[in-house]
Amino acid sequence: VTGPLKLTLQLLALACVAGLLALLVWKLTHQQHAPRVGAVAPAFTLRRLDGPGDVSLASLRGKPVVLNFWASWCVPCKSEAPVLEREWTRYRDRGVVFVGVDFHDLSSDARHFVAAHRLTFTMLEDGSGQVTGSYGISQVPETYVLSRAGRVVAHLAGPITASGFSGEFRAALARVAT
Amino acid sequence: VILRLAAVLVAALALAGPASACAHPRTSLTYLEGQIMCPTCHTTLDQSDSAAARQIETHISQRIAQCWTAQRIESELVANYGKGILAAPPHSGFDLLAWWLPIAGVLGGAALLAVGVWRWSRRREPEPESAASGLDEETERRLDELLSRFE
Repeated sequence: VTGPLKLTLQLLALACVAGLLALLVWKLTHQQHAPRVGAVAPAFTLRRLDGPGDVSLASLRGKPVVLNFWASWCVPCKSEAPVLEREWTRYRDRGVVFVGVDFHDLSSDARHFVAAHRLTFTMLEDGSGQVTGSYGISQVPETYVLSRAGRVVAHLAGPITASGFSGEFRAALARVAT
Repeated sequence: VILRLAAVLVAALALAGPASACAHPRTSLTYLEGQIMCPTCHTTLDQSDSAAARQIETHISQRIAQCWTAQRIESELVANYGKGILAAPPHSGFDLLAWWLPIAGVLGGAALLAVGVWRWSRRREPEPESAASGLDEETERRLDELLSRFE
């Protein structure tokens, strides 16, 4: 193989290698991690599960937010649901907003879950899991407690009913509600 | 007794309802299990035993019992979960690239290989003997003389 053809082949091979390297770098730099305590919570706008319209996190700025990620197929979410509802009714008069984000779920099943557990706080749906991914959620349930400034105060990677998390959840709630 | 009979009748109707709703199903769970991804484990449904996968399988079974086609079921799942729920990208629009690029890559690679092999085989064709020795007549004569002394 000589001349221009050889040069073309070499350039083609180099372009392929450069493309693969660029893909690797892009993948490594775009990996999603859970926002750390103190970091600003990732912005999102999601469709309401319990009615028409969307809700954005930006619209809740100035209020403490409890962001709970759940799914109807998730077994621990069932035991957690009544506790969340109870805390919501306790703290809503103090300006705390509870938001449930249902992910990787069938809307019909999710609505049935909400009705069965008589949950009254705002419910959003993230069927594709895009927003949930930006919060680094790998399993449900997970809960974030956000300050009025939209910063992460606590991240509970498990049910808030778990012995290790219930105290931390209540402490974080009390802190943001003051 | 009448109440019991009524209860049994209602239960029988409730159980028989979905099965009799579609006498000739238009697709099968086995087929769709290979076409739909489990959203939490990133494998097809037939490879997964997660709760999310089981939920989707139950839903698909219900739709099959309602005589839905595979395409309609897939469309409903895409509307709910996004395109990522499909094991293979759709055969339309930008997604066509995902089908054609690998084929183009394989064909291009095969063409390059063929050209390379052809050129390589041409370069290695045997050359004329006289040209291969590269010696003039005088040197060849002297070389023959030297060699004949060893015979």
